[in-house]
Amino acid sequence: MDAGQRLTDANFPEHPEKATLEGKNKFLGFWLFLGGETVLFATLFGTYLGLRHMNMDGPSTEELFKLPTVFLATMLLLTSSLTSVYAVLALKQNRVRTLQKWFIITLILGLGFLGLEVYEFMEYVHEGHTFTSSAFGSAFYTLVGFHGGHVAFGCLWIITLLIRNWNRGITLVNAPKYYLFALYWHFVDVVWVFIFTVVYLMGKVG
Amino acid sequence: MADHNNTETNIHRNEALQRKLAFKEERKHHNVSFIMMILLTLVAFYAIWSDKVADSFAVLFILVLAVVQVFFQLYIWMHLSHKGHDFPLWGMISGILFAAITVVGIAGLIWTS
Amino acid sequence: MSTHASHKKRSGLMDWLTTVDHKKIGILYLIAGGFFFIIGGLEAMFMRIQLFKPENDFVAAETFNQLLTMHGTTMIFFAAMPLIFAFMNAVVPLQIGARDVAFPFVNALGFWLFFFGGVLLNLSWLLGGAPDAGWTAYAPLSTTSEGSGVDFYVLGLQISGAGTLVGGINFLVTIINMRAPGMTFMRMPLFTWTAFVTSGLILFAFPPLTIGLFMLMFERVFDANFFNPDNGGNILIWEHIFWIFGHPEVYILILPSFGAISEVVATFSRKRLFGYSAMVFATVLIGFLGFMVWVHHMFTVGLGPVANSIFAVATMAIAVPTGVKIFNWLFTMWGGKIVFSTAMLWAVGFIPTFVMGGVTGVMLAIPSADYQFHDSYFVVAHFHYVIVGGVILGLFAGLYYWYPRMFNRVLNETLGKIHFWTFFIGFHLTFFPQHFLGLMGMPRRVFTYLSGQDLDQLNFISTIGAFLMAIGTIVLFVNVIISTSKKYAPSSDPWHGRTLEWAIPYPTPEYNFAQTPLVRGLDAFWIEKAAGNKGMTPAEPVGDIHMPNPSILPLIMSIGLFVAAFGLIYDTMTVVVIGMAITFISMFFRSVIDDHGFHIHKEEVEEDLKGVKL
Repeated sequence: MDAGQRLTDANFPEHPEKATLEGKNKFLGFWLFLGGETVLFATLFGTYLGLRHMNMDGPSTEELFKLPTVFLATMLLLTSSLTSVYAVLALKQNRVRTLQKWFIITLILGLGFLGLEVYEFMEYVHEGHTFTSSAFGSAFYTLVGFHGGHVAFGCLWIITLLIRNWNRGITLVNAPKYYLFALYWHFVDVVWVFIFTVVYLMGKVG
Repeated sequence: MADHNNTETNIHRNEALQRKLAFKEERKHHNVSFIMMILLTLVAFYAIWSDKVADSFAVLFILVLAVVQVFFQLYIWMHLSHKGHDFPLWGMISGILFAAITVVGIAGLIWTS
Repeated sequence: MSTHASHKKRSGLMDWLTTVDHKKIGILYLIAGGFFFIIGGLEAMFMRIQLFKPENDFVAAETFNQLLTMHGTTMIFFAAMPLIFAFMNAVVPLQIGARDVAFPFVNALGFWLFFFGGVLLNLSWLLGGAPDAGWTAYAPLSTTSEGSGVDFYVLGLQISGAGTLVGGINFLVTIINMRAPGMTFMRMPLFTWTAFVTSGLILFAFPPLTIGLFMLMFERVFDANFFNPDNGGNILIWEHIFWIFGHPEVYILILPSFGAISEVVATFSRKRLFGYSAMVFATVLIGFLGFMVWVHHMFTVGLGPVANSIFAVATMAIAVPTGVKIFNWLFTMWGGKIVFSTAMLWAVGFIPTFVMGGVTGVMLAIPSADYQFHDSYFVVAHFHYVIVGGVILGLFAGLYYWYPRMFNRVLNETLGKIHFWTFFIGFHLTFFPQHFLGLMGMPRRVFTYLSGQDLDQLNFISTIGAFLMAIGTIVLFVNVIISTSKKYAPSSDPWHGRTLEWAIPYPTPEYNFAQTPLVRGLDAFWIEKAAGNKGMTPAEPVGDIHMPNPSILPLIMSIGLFVAAFGLIYDTMTVVVIGMAITFISMFFRSVIDDHGFHIHKEEVEEDLKGVKL
């Protein structure tokens, strides 16, 4: 069978993302990549924890962080993680329109999160907390910015994926791609769970 | 012959039904874990926001909540518990182990003024 | 759909620029790594010439700093790493009975990223001076270093590091998913095992380096304050990040050498490897412990007795699995019919040399003693004993052993033995005296010394040794050049090999195995030969073979990052944008254009099988 062919309900495999060797390889390779990303973010978290009280003349974490914004951002990202899980569920049932619907909602929520983050950063800069103002500033913007960069990359990724496959149905070629994106998106949410806990909530405790 | 055909369609129908039920079940799992994660987040925010929990305990408490929430993500939403995830699981466990060592090493072993 | 698009043959330069064949990528890695090995070697020679007598003025102090930085960086990242990847590419898919790696496109990308990273770093010599903060680039030396040398270091390593990371993931997936039927984990040849563990270490050790380099770049280009104590920064964070990467890195280098030695020792002793499962266990354990010991590079920064003791004990623990390996090699040779071919000479030379490096390693692991040894030539002697005496001797063993498989020709044995003896004697002459120079108080990284301190003679001997090593290397290159003019090797199995890579006809077909082999035990090929079979039992009928398409995109993606790096170094944002655009647009094309590869048809494979010479 041609791997690029639209799958029908009759020949639909149980795990379309792993039905070909290429799909299996991508699936495993991407998981391993996420394992590496864990250590990447750990390095950023370690640095942040080491430097978070070094705010010099700028505002401290307690003065700076506004929990309502963070809570809203958390909810947006958490919900987007759920909608991407719904999309994967649709993928497994060969329902491409449902998949597209849920991924578009995921994308919108992701963009909303990014908008909030940009707004938040602008506020902080206004209050004198910049990338160059202190070691805390550098560590904060690098950690949270790296996460934001991951969200932004994910948005570009899903836009490309959706446009490219808009009229294609689910095939053995694009099923792993959708699945990998969903994994990536969950991972970005996993990192955010630690960011809101370690950076924002612990920042309020001092 | 007709009988044979009948059983075959029956089996087919049964399978389809079972798959459908399985998806329904999975969807339910996802919804439940979503509610759990919202609750965990709310508790964490409340613990800090309300200022009712002693600071030293609050930090440990919210870290535990974060770990639980991540467990939900990895095991239920990312299907790490499913069949065929042995090597991904190994990869993540090693990654988390080395990540923990890295965080503790960098944050814990520096001079602080 | 162009799934069955016919096979487009490219020729000459275009073939090499677009190849995704692991065998050709292995050769590219070998050539590029060899090139950087010569550059790093020349830098070492300049340093030894400068130090051959007291108060010499062959190079200025600033140049010496650049030489020592570039020598270390080049040798680790652009000589040893690519040479390891050369053998991993050339050998691992063959040893596990696969037709290619899991991600052939990514494999090519990894090579080109490494290559342009290396070119970028070395261009610094021509563009205002090389980096001069040591290969460890400690802050604040690196953050305040004048000129753009350190920027070249940061971006060169960043680009090549990305290539190494994707290469590591590629080999992990290849080894997990692409093994031939019957090739269980505990039947994998030891070189494949070490490649597997090394790839795992790459996966978890390179991300911290990526972050550390980003921080250093932000510090230099965008005025960040991670390592600037005046603004709350902490220089120890760089040291931690660097060594959290840096210590696993040395195991990344040594493990594949261990693997190559294991193959060579078993083959030329005509015995199966002694204690195979203990060897596997030791490899995994060394890899694991490699992450737990990085603080032993930082004993003298003052982290206190508790931290120092914990990391001292962990460090000494590594001697145990390493000792297991040493004894297993000795027991493999014990009672074997040893053939002292050139490859075997390197392996036999490796064992005592590496043990000496290991012993000084345990000495350095004692924190109180380390306060004396730290930053002296004793440390220089130690790490050259493990990296040259370990990694490089192992790689030379691998080179003589696998050269027939990679190039279908054998290297001349007489020249090979001249290479071995000059290099081996030269090596000990260079580095053995350096232990004593260190104990006598000569600090490392100094560009000169005064006479009358008893340092003259030993430094002189050391320089003589360096010249011998250079002569040995020249002999190797003569040998390689001579081999290109020779006809094909007399046999596809010149060493009476034990593992699958020797079961393939020569020249190695593009698809490696016409039929995927069935593996029936450890030393798969040896089992078949012992049973009197001519070759491997096939696990499948002859059929169409799916192959990946060649692509120019990996090269273009890497060039994009190379261009962007210049923009960052010279603070021109338009160039950064142009470079990143090139890379992202190539990634976009790779993503949206379906690439289903092509098929080599059954008839062609059958035609090839008729002409097979074994």
